[in-house]
Amino acid sequence: MLKEITTAEYEALDKKGPYLLEFYSKTCGPCKMLAFVLKDVDKADPSLPIYQAEFNENEELKNSLGVSGFPTLLFMRDGKEVTRLEGLKQKPVILAEIAKLKG
Amino acid sequence: MQLQKMAHYIDQQYDAEKAMLDECRAGDFTLDNPYVKLNPYLIAPLTALVHFRTKEPRAVTVLVKGKDDGGDMGITYKPATEHFVQVLGLYPDYENTVEISLDDGSKKTLKIKTDKAPDSVHKPTFIETTAQYMDGKIVILSPTSSASLAGYDYRGDVRWYITLNLAFDLKRVRNGRFLMGTHRLLMPPYHTTGLYEFGAIGKIYKEYRIPGGYHHDQFEMEDGNLLILTQKPERGTVEDCLVLVDRNSGTILKEWDYQKILPTNVGGSGSQDAHDWFHNNAVWYDKKTNSLTLSGRHQDAVINIDYDTGKLNWIIGDPEGWPEDMQKYFFKPVGDLSKFDWQYEQHACVVLPDGDVMCFDNGHWRAKVKEKYVPARDNFSRGVRYRINPEKMEIEQVWQYGKERGSDFFSTYICNVEYYGDGHYMVHSGGTGKFKGEPCNRPPVQFRGDDEKYLEMQSITVEIKDDKVVYEMRVPGNYYRAEKLWLYDREDQLTFGKGQLLGTLGVTPTFDTIPELPVSKTVPEKNRLALIQEVDRLVLKGLFEKGQMVELLLEGRDSTVAYFVPTTKRPFLAMCVGTFLEADDRAVTFPISLEGLSGHYKISIIIDDQKYDTGLELDV
Repeated sequence: MLKEITTAEYEALDKKGPYLLEFYSKTCGPCKMLAFVLKDVDKADPSLPIYQAEFNENEELKNSLGVSGFPTLLFMRDGKEVTRLEGLKQKPVILAEIAKLKG
Repeated sequence: MQLQKMAHYIDQQYDAEKAMLDECRAGDFTLDNPYVKLNPYLIAPLTALVHFRTKEPRAVTVLVKGKDDGGDMGITYKPATEHFVQVLGLYPDYENTVEISLDDGSKKTLKIKTDKAPDSVHKPTFIETTAQYMDGKIVILSPTSSASLAGYDYRGDVRWYITLNLAFDLKRVRNGRFLMGTHRLLMPPYHTTGLYEFGAIGKIYKEYRIPGGYHHDQFEMEDGNLLILTQKPERGTVEDCLVLVDRNSGTILKEWDYQKILPTNVGGSGSQDAHDWFHNNAVWYDKKTNSLTLSGRHQDAVINIDYDTGKLNWIIGDPEGWPEDMQKYFFKPVGDLSKFDWQYEQHACVVLPDGDVMCFDNGHWRAKVKEKYVPARDNFSRGVRYRINPEKMEIEQVWQYGKERGSDFFSTYICNVEYYGDGHYMVHSGGTGKFKGEPCNRPPVQFRGDDEKYLEMQSITVEIKDDKVVYEMRVPGNYYRAEKLWLYDREDQLTFGKGQLLGTLGVTPTFDTIPELPVSKTVPEKNRLALIQEVDRLVLKGLFEKGQMVELLLEGRDSTVAYFVPTTKRPFLAMCVGTFLEADDRAVTFPISLEGLSGHYKISIIIDDQKYDTGLELDV
């Protein structure tokens, strides 16, 4: 499940279990491509929530999570970061991290 | 939009050589009526080839007459009956007098008229030396700013230049030829496909291709194999690997990965970032200690490692800020400490016969912590010689030149030193610059666009003998390194035949995801797309706005191969060769190795939310 999210919506989320949180920018080529990659990831694993937050519009959220650039993919479990990938990554790399996240 | 085929210079030169040899064989050329070909290999306009035959084997002497006696240059070739005489060191825009004489006393004087050199061949604004001191040698400057690789004699007259945009350091090797980075850009800002080995007449004998690309420096080993600086681009860092390359096959024989030797996130200079954490700009092999000495600008460190094991032996540099467990690798200064300075963001480490270590101490920021950084206006650059005792871990500064010249001699980047013998050195401060009259705190070549109007760049090359300046040349522009040499070299024999493409470019990483998007058959004009097919790669060129999503697709019969094309420029904190920078900052060059591809492909390109069918087809 792919979902665009704001800081407020993220705060209100039930953060139980594994999920992905992506920070992207509308003016970033690698972010645009990563959006297509994440669509493919979503098709491969529809049960995993993938939240997408615009980097510049979610200052508080990115600062609280220590995100300083885009695209950044946070692999989260129960509201806590397990690992992160920075920059454009390919689908197999992301799926491998998801497999680790789900343990 | 067209698919333009571009022959490799090796092929272009081979064709030119075949045509030339056909002409030579078709005629009956004698000393009195020789065949003369100016710029026979297309890239060295101040060279010529003279051909004739003699009935008896004769030694031939060629002499290019100087504008005065000190400018004469020439050589004598071994006896032969078929003569192909390399003429080197002609003056541009001049009717040159060239004397060809035989060992039987006969002589022919030729007049060879050359064209004007392009403006990119910069003229010195100052030169002070003597013909006696230079002894017929020239100083070759390799460009960092927009300029040509060129050689200057004792008067500052241009006697040699190359029209290709060759990169980094020109070094003469034992067969008399030159090694220098190719003009084929592999990835921005300056990493090229490898090295060319070429003669002074311009003939390229070999290209050594390296999968990760070449940068900064190379070193010829005693057995002829080559140490070449490179990287593994796929891991997102640069300038942190070294390879040993077989001279005959181009095969990589050994590799040193500095990420296995040093921590990457400590000891950072003022220019360090995670991408370019070490910035290796020089390599030197020392046979006595069987070790490699490597200069890492972005850790302010000259390190020494064991050749066989890669184990770290020592580090020359300011130890401030390095972790406790690394302190044992650093030296303690001894001797007259009032004269001692550490080197910062240095270049061109050289190990001397007695084990002393020299380098060009750029001194950029001249401190390990931001609070202590020294601005350019108060800073200095210099050549420095350190004496080290690795048993006691002590270091003494035994010589320097440059500090006394203050900020006028200050170069944030590039530059080199040369050792000719004790007390006799070159110190090349090739990267000085002033912006609006103030010394630059960052590489001058990074000032682009309108800022260039307020920029003054200067390269200053000095030679010192017994503490006296015996040579100084100043040239407008920034020049990576200077090398002094005789243009004529007995070993630099011209051999005919096609040059060799050695090594490999590897396989360009592909991208798995291909967005499904609407297709258009009209490629946007504004992107100025161009595709160039070379013998071993396909090069996409275009103009893209920062942040546009671009993917190039090669659609084969059974599958599609896709390449993600970056359009956002990384902020480069070093720019040792800026000659590949384009005036339009939207310009993107993206080369794809043809290795791993075979068959017939239709070429499409995705730009943001549209796929464009270019109508072009590629056969590999």
